[in-house]
Amino acid sequence: MAKSLVTLEKGTVCSAWNYCGQRLATGSGDGTLAVFDSQDPASSSSFTCTSKSRVHEDSIVKVVWVPPEYGDAVACICTDGTVSLCEEVKEDAQPLQWKLCKSFKSNSAKVLDIQFGISLRSLKMVAAYSDGHVKVYELLDCLELKNWQLQAEFQNVIESVFTFSKALCLSASISWNPQGGESQESSFVLGFNSDTSQLNSSKVWEFDPAHQRWLPVAELALPGDKGDQVYAVAWAPNIGRPYEVIAVATHKGISIWHLGLDPDLDGRLSVEKVALLSSHKGEVWQMEWDMSGMTLATTASDGVVRLWQSNLNGAWMEQAAFEPTS
Amino acid sequence: MLGFSSAPADGASSTGDLVPFSSEARATAVCPLHHGLKPPISRLSISWARGNSLRVSFFRRPSGDDSEGDEFGGKVLEVRLSGGDGDGDMSDAQFRRIAYGSVSPFALLQSRRNSAASLSKISSPYHVEWWEYVMEYSKDINSLLGDPKSLTSPAIEDPKAVLQKAEEPICLKAAWDVMEIFYADKQSQSWLPERLVDWLAAYDGLLSSTQATIHSQLVSFQKELVALQVIEDSPKYWEVLSAALAVGWLDVVVKMLRLHGSYQLDQIGNRETENGLVEAVAVLISKMPRLRPELEAGRLGECYRAKPDFVKAWEKWRAHITKLDCSAYWVRCDHNQTREGLRNMLQIMLGNTNSLCTATCHWMELYIAHFLYIRPFTAGLESMYSLAQKCMQLKPMTISHRLIRLLLGIIGDNTEVVLAECSRAFGPWMVAHAIELLASGSDQAETLLREEHYNLGGISIEELHRLVYAQVLSSDALTWQIAPIYLTSCIKQGMGLLEILLSKQPVQDVQILLKVIEICRLYELDSVSSNIMKIAGVYHWKHGRKGSGVFWLQQARDEVRLNRIAQQLFDFVGQSISDESFKQWEGLIELLGAESKTAGGLEFLHKYRDFKKFLKQVNNGKTTDAARQAVESLISLMKNPSTPRQFWLPILYDSLKLLSWQERPLLNVSETNLLLNKLQELSMAKLRPDFIEANLPPQALGSVRLALATNLGRAIVEE
Repeated sequence: MAKSLVTLEKGTVCSAWNYCGQRLATGSGDGTLAVFDSQDPASSSSFTCTSKSRVHEDSIVKVVWVPPEYGDAVACICTDGTVSLCEEVKEDAQPLQWKLCKSFKSNSAKVLDIQFGISLRSLKMVAAYSDGHVKVYELLDCLELKNWQLQAEFQNVIESVFTFSKALCLSASISWNPQGGESQESSFVLGFNSDTSQLNSSKVWEFDPAHQRWLPVAELALPGDKGDQVYAVAWAPNIGRPYEVIAVATHKGISIWHLGLDPDLDGRLSVEKVALLSSHKGEVWQMEWDMSGMTLATTASDGVVRLWQSNLNGAWMEQAAFEPTS
Repeated sequence: MLGFSSAPADGASSTGDLVPFSSEARATAVCPLHHGLKPPISRLSISWARGNSLRVSFFRRPSGDDSEGDEFGGKVLEVRLSGGDGDGDMSDAQFRRIAYGSVSPFALLQSRRNSAASLSKISSPYHVEWWEYVMEYSKDINSLLGDPKSLTSPAIEDPKAVLQKAEEPICLKAAWDVMEIFYADKQSQSWLPERLVDWLAAYDGLLSSTQATIHSQLVSFQKELVALQVIEDSPKYWEVLSAALAVGWLDVVVKMLRLHGSYQLDQIGNRETENGLVEAVAVLISKMPRLRPELEAGRLGECYRAKPDFVKAWEKWRAHITKLDCSAYWVRCDHNQTREGLRNMLQIMLGNTNSLCTATCHWMELYIAHFLYIRPFTAGLESMYSLAQKCMQLKPMTISHRLIRLLLGIIGDNTEVVLAECSRAFGPWMVAHAIELLASGSDQAETLLREEHYNLGGISIEELHRLVYAQVLSSDALTWQIAPIYLTSCIKQGMGLLEILLSKQPVQDVQILLKVIEICRLYELDSVSSNIMKIAGVYHWKHGRKGSGVFWLQQARDEVRLNRIAQQLFDFVGQSISDESFKQWEGLIELLGAESKTAGGLEFLHKYRDFKKFLKQVNNGKTTDAARQAVESLISLMKNPSTPRQFWLPILYDSLKLLSWQERPLLNVSETNLLLNKLQELSMAKLRPDFIEANLPPQALGSVRLALATNLGRAIVEE
C-alpha cells in the first residue's frame, strides 16, 4: 500500500517532483539543493541522491520545477525572498552538473510564491511578492534560462485604480491553468494571505493580447468572503469538462469553484461555488489535483492528508484520510 | 490495500434502502501512514505520480539537539490508492495477467458495438444477436479469472473423500459469474434457479470467510471422517447429510450415504431393511428431476428441458417420496439415527420449511433450498427478491459478505447498488468490465449507465469507470501501455486523459519515448507527440548530446529552438572561421543531414561545410578543378538568402586565394558583380546598430574588394 521511496537528509524542508515523477528536488535549511533520481527509469523503485549543491546562504523554502520543454531546471525560493534558477547542463568539456543560471533579487519585497506556465511559445514565470505585487516574467531565449524580461506588474485586485503600497503579505499561492501550451494563451489563479483584504481573494488572470496586459476575469469569493486570507489555490486539469474546476483554501475551508469557459460581454467568466469542504483543522498547506482532475489531495497543519471527490450528484465528499504515524 | 473506492460512482448513496452506506452515515476511511520517523513532523508535502499514486513527503522539524545524529531528516512515501481488484486479494502479477487478458475481449466488444451502431443507425445496436456478443465477451473474461472445480465433484480415488480439493476460487470470479448469470446469459434465464444452485455449490466456500456455511461443515466433517468407526452413529453425519441435500449437492449426499455401515458385507445380512431404506433414499436422490438442459458428466439428477415434462416428473418423484415416507418399513428399522436421519432427508426433499431451515447455515443456502424443493421455477426478479427477504428473516447473516451484497443488488434490480458494490468491493477492473454486462441487462440500466451527467463534467457513468480504471492502469509502469485502449473507448474525456498520461511519461528513456510516439501515431495525437519529442530534444541538447538533441527537435519540427541552435552554431563557427579545425562541429552538421530544411540556418551550415571542404582541397592540391568547385560552392553560398550576413565577409576573406587565382580568373563577370554587390551591402550594413563585427583583421574588407576588382578586370579581358 505505502512504500518508501526516498529518505531525506537532516535539514530538508521542501521537495518537488518533476513532470514525470522520476526526479525529486529537495531544498534544505542551509540553502542546499539536492536532486534524487530513480535507478531504473522504467519503475520508480529506488531513488538516490545524484547531485547536491549549495545555491543560497539562506534556507530554501520552496522548490518549483521548470516545464520540461525548457530543460531540467528548478527555481528555489529562499527565506530572504530571492529566487534562484538552477539548471542541469553539460557545457563543453565540463561534466553534467547543476548550475545557478539566474537569480531574481529584490530590494524590498520578498518573493512568496512562483509558478511557471507556458503561454504562446514562451515560458512565463508569475511571482507574487510580499508587498502584494504580482510580476510576470517572460523568458527571452527558449534555450537559455538566463534571460528574462519583466512583462507585467500589477496587484491582485479587480479594480486597478486602487494601489496598496503598504500591504504586508505572509504567503501567496499561484496556480496556472494546466491546459496551457505553446499554441494558446494561458491563465492563472492567484490568492494572497495578507493584511489587506482587497488583495486576498483569488482572482483568475488572463492575458489580453489586444491591449498587451493581464486582466482579472473572475473572482473566486462570495461577497461576504472577499477579505478572507487565501492559503492555497489549485487549478484542476480539464480533460473535457464544459467548465473549469478550481480549489481555493481559506480559514473557512476548501471551496470548490466551477469556472465557465466563455466570457460574458465584459470579458468576465461565470463562477459558481459548488462545495465547501471543512474537515481540515488548521491552515491548508497544499492542494494537488490528480491527472484526471477528479480527485483533490490536500494537506494542512493538522498533519493529515485528505482526498476529496465528487459523487454523481455533484456533492463533494471526503473519500479518505491518511494520518501519519511513526 | 486501501478501501478507497472509485468514489464518484458512489452516487448510489442517495437511493434505495438496501444501499450499504449513505452519504451522511458513512465515515471517511482513516488510514495510518507509517513513515517511521521520530516526531515531530514539521511539514508534509504531496504530489500525484502517474495514475492514482500519491507521494507524500514528511519533513522532521530540525532539533537543536545533536545527540540524534543518525536520525533522518525526512522521508517520501508512495501510496497506491487503489489496486485494480478492490479488496486486493490478488497479487500484482495475477492482476496484471487479468488486466492484459481482458484487453482483447473488451476491444472486440467495443469494435462490434461500433460496427453494429454504424450498420443500424435507426435502431439501437442491441438487436437480437447483441447479447450473444456480450455472452462471448463474458465467457472470455470469465475464463481469465480461473477455473474453480465445483466443490461437489465426487472423487473416485479415495472413497472417503467426500470433498474434492479444488483450486481456491477467487471472489472476483464468483462475482463475475453471478453477473453473467443474471445479465448476459439470456439462454439460461428459464433455468435460473439451477444456475444459482451451481453458483452456490462453487462458491459457498468463499462465504465461509465471514460466516458458518455448509461448506465449512463439510470440510470439518471430512477431517473427522477418518477417525469415525461407526459413521451412522454420529449425529454430525446426519446433520451434514441433510445440509448437503438441502443445497442440492446430490453427489456428495449419495456418496456419503453409501458410507453407511449397513452396506458392509458382514452386516448386510442382519441390517437388510435398514440398508434397503438407505438405498431407497439414495436412489430417490439420484433420480431427482432438474429443470435444466444438462448436468455435468457424473452429476446426479434427471434433466428436463421443458417445463411441462419437468412438472410431471417432479410430481411423480414427490409421490415416490411420500410413498416411502408412509412406508411400513420404517417401523422395522432398528437403527434409530438412521431412521430419523433418513426421514429428515425425506422432509427436506418434500420441502418442509422447518427441516430446510435447520439444515442450512445462512439465508443464501436456505434460498437455494427453496429453489430446489419448494419453488423450482423462476417468476421474475420481484418474487425472487421477496423470497430472498423472507429467507433473510429466517436465517439472517451476521456479517454481510461482499458477494451477498452484490447478489442482493442484482435481485433487488438496483443497478446503482450493483455498481456501487462492484466498485467498492471488487475494484475498478470489475466495474469497468462488468458495466458491459449490466448495460445489456435492461434498457433502464443501459440508460442509467450511458446517459451523460453534468456533474461528472458531461460524461456517463460508463465512461467515468473506464477513466478510473485507466488511471489505475496508468499508475503502474508495467500496465500503463494498455490504458490507451480503455481511454480511446471514452468518447468525451478519454483523449484528454490520454494526452496527459502520455505527456507524463519519462522521455529520457528512449524505449518509453518510442512507445509514446507510437501511441501518438496510432491515435493521431500529433501535437502531443511533437511536444514530447521537443522535451526529448531539449533534454539531450542540454545534457551534451547535441546530435540527438537536434534530431529530436527536427522530428518535433520545432523551428524556434532549431533556429536558436543554428544561431548558437553560427556564433561558434563564426569564432573559428579562419581556423582549419572545423572537425568539432562538422559531425553535427553531418548529422543534420542534407534534407534538414526545417531550419534555414542549418541548411547554410551544410553548404558552408562543403565550401570549407573544397577550400581545404585547394589548399592541399592547388588544382584548378578543385578551385572551380570551391568557387561554385562560394557562389551558391553567397546567393543563398539563408546565409547570415555576418558570414559574408569571413567567407570572402577565406576565399581570397580563389579570387586572385594565378592561372586565370575563376569568377566570370556576373559572379564577380554579385560578390561586389554583397560587399557593397555589407559596407552599408556596417552603419546599422545590429551589425556584428566579424573577428577579422581590419584590412580584410579592403583586400577582398581589391581582389574582386582585379578579378573583374581580368574576367572582362577574358570574355
